[in-house]
Amino acid sequence: MKKIITLILGLSFVIASQAKALDSAEAENFIKQVTTQGIEEIINSNVSIKEKDARFEKLFNEYLDLDYIGKFVLGRYWKTATAKQREAFISVYREFNVKTWSKRFDEFKGKKFEFDGTTPSTSEGQIFVNTSVKMKEGAPAKVVWRVKDGKPLKIVDIIIENVSLAITARNEYTAYIKKAPNGVDDLIEDLRQKAK
Amino acid sequence: MKKILLMVPFLLALTACMTNPDGTKMKVSDEETKLEVYNRAMFNFNYQADKLVLKPIAKGYKAVTTQGIRNRVTSFFNNLEEPAYAINDLLQGKVKNSGKAVARFAINSTLGLLGTFDVAAGWGIEKKKNSFDATMAMYCTPDGPFFVMPIIGPSTPRYLVGWSVDSIADPMYWALLDNEDEDWGVALSFVATGLEHINKRAENLEMLDGLEASSVDFYATVKSAFLQNRRKFESLCATQNEQGEVAASYDFDFENDED
Repeated sequence: MKKIITLILGLSFVIASQAKALDSAEAENFIKQVTTQGIEEIINSNVSIKEKDARFEKLFNEYLDLDYIGKFVLGRYWKTATAKQREAFISVYREFNVKTWSKRFDEFKGKKFEFDGTTPSTSEGQIFVNTSVKMKEGAPAKVVWRVKDGKPLKIVDIIIENVSLAITARNEYTAYIKKAPNGVDDLIEDLRQKAK
Repeated sequence: MKKILLMVPFLLALTACMTNPDGTKMKVSDEETKLEVYNRAMFNFNYQADKLVLKPIAKGYKAVTTQGIRNRVTSFFNNLEEPAYAINDLLQGKVKNSGKAVARFAINSTLGLLGTFDVAAGWGIEKKKNSFDATMAMYCTPDGPFFVMPIIGPSTPRYLVGWSVDSIADPMYWALLDNEDEDWGVALSFVATGLEHINKRAENLEMLDGLEASSVDFYATVKSAFLQNRRKFESLCATQNEQGEVAASYDFDFENDED
């Protein structure tokens, strides 16, 4: 009996680790696809700025789960927000991110991502894809992509040199809402101004 | 007396900054601690000091220097940190790394023309940073609360102690200590410290401007980024005490509410 249990446990472990291995290769390939597409078809391409922005927006909406991230960054205020506020926030948060990132995206011109494997996450169905980018001087910058399982896979966070964009936004927005007289509505309005 | 006079601008800044940038009084809820109020005030003071003094100088410096020159300056000051890496490597039992830091310092200070060129990296002896902050973290010294220092900026007690201890290992400190009674010694220490900070600020101009432009609460953004970057130290203490795999320092539960 003991042997059978050990066997079953052993087998399930083999199956589980195989599933994980598949998963990590899949996640890594997914990020390879995103970064190659971003660098080759957008940054290095010879098209107008308007066309670049349009392509970036498409890439952004296709590969990032903004509904999921938006919900996370509002933290505890997501629960108290009305349906209308939630919808307005996600929409303006999307616009704001496309705007700020398409501006800063050019920093990756001529850069190449090196892939350094994956790291498991404590959150179910999520995995970290580790990459690094060579800088002009000094050690390469560490960029980690948090990928969420599903069909298709989606990016839910980007961690640059140990700093998570999602956590930073969440800390910032919850601090802002706490101080603002009109709470979430003020935040939505402020982001709207910045997205212009 | 001198000390009290020095305190005056800070106290003034403290009271002047308890208003929002648009002039309205800051809304301080009950749970917002006094430390947070002080931090925001000091952050605003530092922000203004940067905007009025350091940033314009850094911009001017950037206009009259090339990237090549700035890289040499960065490299020169980085080289002076190698002795501190070597000592902390030893304190952490990383003898091999310590030897590498000593070799790097010897090679770069001579063949690398006073550290302005990183010759050792070209030979495959790569820089490996270390700090007394990390040493304390390894022995599980608590970090303490986040607080904003005048001029120095975002900090924690452990960060500050580590920073002070490491600066004693800086060869420049010893060179100037020998000549602290000479006018040129004092002048040189001001010039060196000034150049180091101006150079650093010049290299961060775009990054910090970008960060500020994309944030609605700059203080909260900086605080969050500073503390997240320090989470890498937590695993140093854990690896000593626990067996098995340590979770990545940036991992967190995406489903649950943290705060």
